[in-house]
Amino acid sequence: MPEQVLGRRLGGLTLATVGSALLLLVLALVSYATVASVLAGLRRDRRLMRSAGNAVMAAFVCTVSAVVLLEIALVRHDFSIAVVLQHTSRTLPTPYLLTSLWASQPGSLLLWLTVLTGASSLVTLQNRHKNRELMPWVTAVLGGCMVFFASMATIISSPFERTAGVVPRDGFGLDPSLQNPYMAAHPPALYLGYVSFAVPFAFAMAALITRRTDARWLASVRRWTLFAWASLGVGMLLGAHWAYVEIGWGGYWGWDPVENAALMPWLAGTAYLHSVMVQEKRGMLKVWNVVLVTATFALSIFGTFLTRSGVVDSIHSFVQSPVGPALLVFLSIVLAFATTLLVWRLPLLRSDHKLESVVSREATFLFNNLLLLAFAFVILWGVVFPLLSEAVRGVRSTVSVPYYNFFLVAFGLPLLALTGIGPLIAWRRATPGSLWRTFRWPVISAAAGGALLALLGLGSSWPGLTAFSLCIFVTVTIGLEFARGASARRAIAGGSWPRALVDLVSRNRRRYGGYVVHLAVVLLVVGIAASGAYGSVNQAVLKPGQSMQVGGYTLTYTGMRSTTGPNYVDTAARLVVSRGGSTQGTLYPAVRDFTDHTVKTQSNEVDIRHDLRGVDVYTILQGADPSKNEVVIKALVNPMVSLIWLAGLVFVLGAAITIWPDPREARQLARRYSTALAKEA
Amino acid sequence: MSTAIEAAVVAVIVATVVVAVAWPFLSPERGAPEPALSPRERSRLELMERRDAAYAGLRDLEQDHRTGKVGDEDYQSERRRLRAEAAGALRGLDTLDSEPGTSSPEE
Repeated sequence: MPEQVLGRRLGGLTLATVGSALLLLVLALVSYATVASVLAGLRRDRRLMRSAGNAVMAAFVCTVSAVVLLEIALVRHDFSIAVVLQHTSRTLPTPYLLTSLWASQPGSLLLWLTVLTGASSLVTLQNRHKNRELMPWVTAVLGGCMVFFASMATIISSPFERTAGVVPRDGFGLDPSLQNPYMAAHPPALYLGYVSFAVPFAFAMAALITRRTDARWLASVRRWTLFAWASLGVGMLLGAHWAYVEIGWGGYWGWDPVENAALMPWLAGTAYLHSVMVQEKRGMLKVWNVVLVTATFALSIFGTFLTRSGVVDSIHSFVQSPVGPALLVFLSIVLAFATTLLVWRLPLLRSDHKLESVVSREATFLFNNLLLLAFAFVILWGVVFPLLSEAVRGVRSTVSVPYYNFFLVAFGLPLLALTGIGPLIAWRRATPGSLWRTFRWPVISAAAGGALLALLGLGSSWPGLTAFSLCIFVTVTIGLEFARGASARRAIAGGSWPRALVDLVSRNRRRYGGYVVHLAVVLLVVGIAASGAYGSVNQAVLKPGQSMQVGGYTLTYTGMRSTTGPNYVDTAARLVVSRGGSTQGTLYPAVRDFTDHTVKTQSNEVDIRHDLRGVDVYTILQGADPSKNEVVIKALVNPMVSLIWLAGLVFVLGAAITIWPDPREARQLARRYSTALAKEA
Repeated sequence: MSTAIEAAVVAVIVATVVVAVAWPFLSPERGAPEPALSPRERSRLELMERRDAAYAGLRDLEQDHRTGKVGDEDYQSERRRLRAEAAGALRGLDTLDSEPGTSSPEE
């Protein structure tokens, strides 16, 4: 029996049938959960609510089962399933067979649905005995989202769609740029971020429906919001690293529309994480917080639309499909629903206090919010303008990198300054005396550091120099916060400095975890500013024995070498790297020819040398002409890019400290104050 | 694997799911419909929220005072305000607790 026929009979037909049936079941379950939870909310029927919760969890189990079936189909080369045929081949290494699940439009929607049903199940479990008034409506809102994505995965873009006609013996192969280890983590991290923002949105809507607009819903979703925000941040950094090592243009962020699609909700989420503290502390910005939660979720949907509709030209985007219009309709429903509820409940969202002074922490957070939102809007305009231009004038305009870079400087530098000012300024109002006490050392350090850097020759870029000075300012404020806090802790409890620091952080994880995240921002800014403002680039045509110079390094071309992988052949140029006469190493930038694609498919495989001084020597083989025995080499010297990846690790650490649950915190606070206050009560 | 086995697998999955979803109605634990939160329970939740916010505010205020961000005068006045806020909330909770038939819905 021919192998392919055997595959279809033993695997293809079964997997596709069971997979499709599972997805139909998911659609039925989430539809039931939505209706049942609405009825449970209206009738206050606890059994109906439990049944809806069970349906959500069953939907998650079925979705995971569908994912497992699709993975089996991918690993078994079951080309009778269309996505397996279109995105894999027999020689594709197994890890990429597994990650190719989200290389396709239907597969990525299945991943969305999996994360969404998983998040909804977790919310259901977390709130079994909490938030009983809110939970039916939370489940209903999440259920509405799940119904939409389950409909997409069953009706519009099924991952189990069969291959039309005769099933070929081999697949078409995976896109070369997706054959990178970072693709294993980058899309799932982004999806975790996008999807998890549905949870705070659902709680906000439930709070409006049930009139429980106090700060309790904020507390219920604090960790979810942080998790979503951190996942999106990590996803973007992984994507930046993937672009740096895989795409082969020398950079890590190209203001690609789909990169922007992830940045926009992250900026709105950052604004929300700050403004929510103002509501908790001062009972202000209640309307603003609902608007921000809605904007963040809506921008997540918009980002999904940008990636999946095919309306933008991007390395990340999928082909044009009916998924795009469906997502736009869903986005419109989300916005209309949230706006109606917000207007309806506006009288319940009055502020408890007014802004007493512009020199206060709440005012700082407000400025921070305005800058973050303005930057998100500028990016949105940059993404949407070409689409509007094409729709209205029939001509597609482009918004280029200088546009984004201008606003990055214009909004980014004040934001960086606020990162340092916010933690040091008091709530309500700050007096001149306290301002002098808290800011003198950070300001003096920043001024002295800036002057020193200018003397060292970094004055060639004023945004770069300003960014470095502000980074010193922020670093000193963070250092002082830890030092003063630990000192105060030692004065109270004694003990060593390390013990005092651990105590300090564990007693207020949110505050000090936030400071660690601020430190990650500093590292990120230094990495971006240094690599953007002080890098070098050169391109040359070289014959064997010839050299080129770039940023103080000499690259000598000594010949070609060829290597063969499971589904490719690499043709690499051998470049000896030296600096000041001493050899530093050898780089092999290559062009990779894929042998498993029906049409000629190549990719650039860059080679990078990481210097101990934090400098990257980045080489790209732009072309090779064997007849003339010459190669075209593009080389870049990128200082301090490694700080960007280090920032990612520090970011994860800070986010983990902040998110880590501490059930003792509320009890410790109650113990500390209840006895003393009982007398006053 | 034949079509009959495929159908059987799908049927088993569907049956399991239906039982899971229907279980709250089948299980012996059949509670009455949950009553809405009474005004008193709502008051209690609001008081607990005010109390917790005041506690957290006091902790942060003390930290800000110790680290020099808040001057003595502002510290004293804000401390008085927050303590009064917490004391008021505790007083309210005591009053509610002393009334018969009060439960703590979401401590």
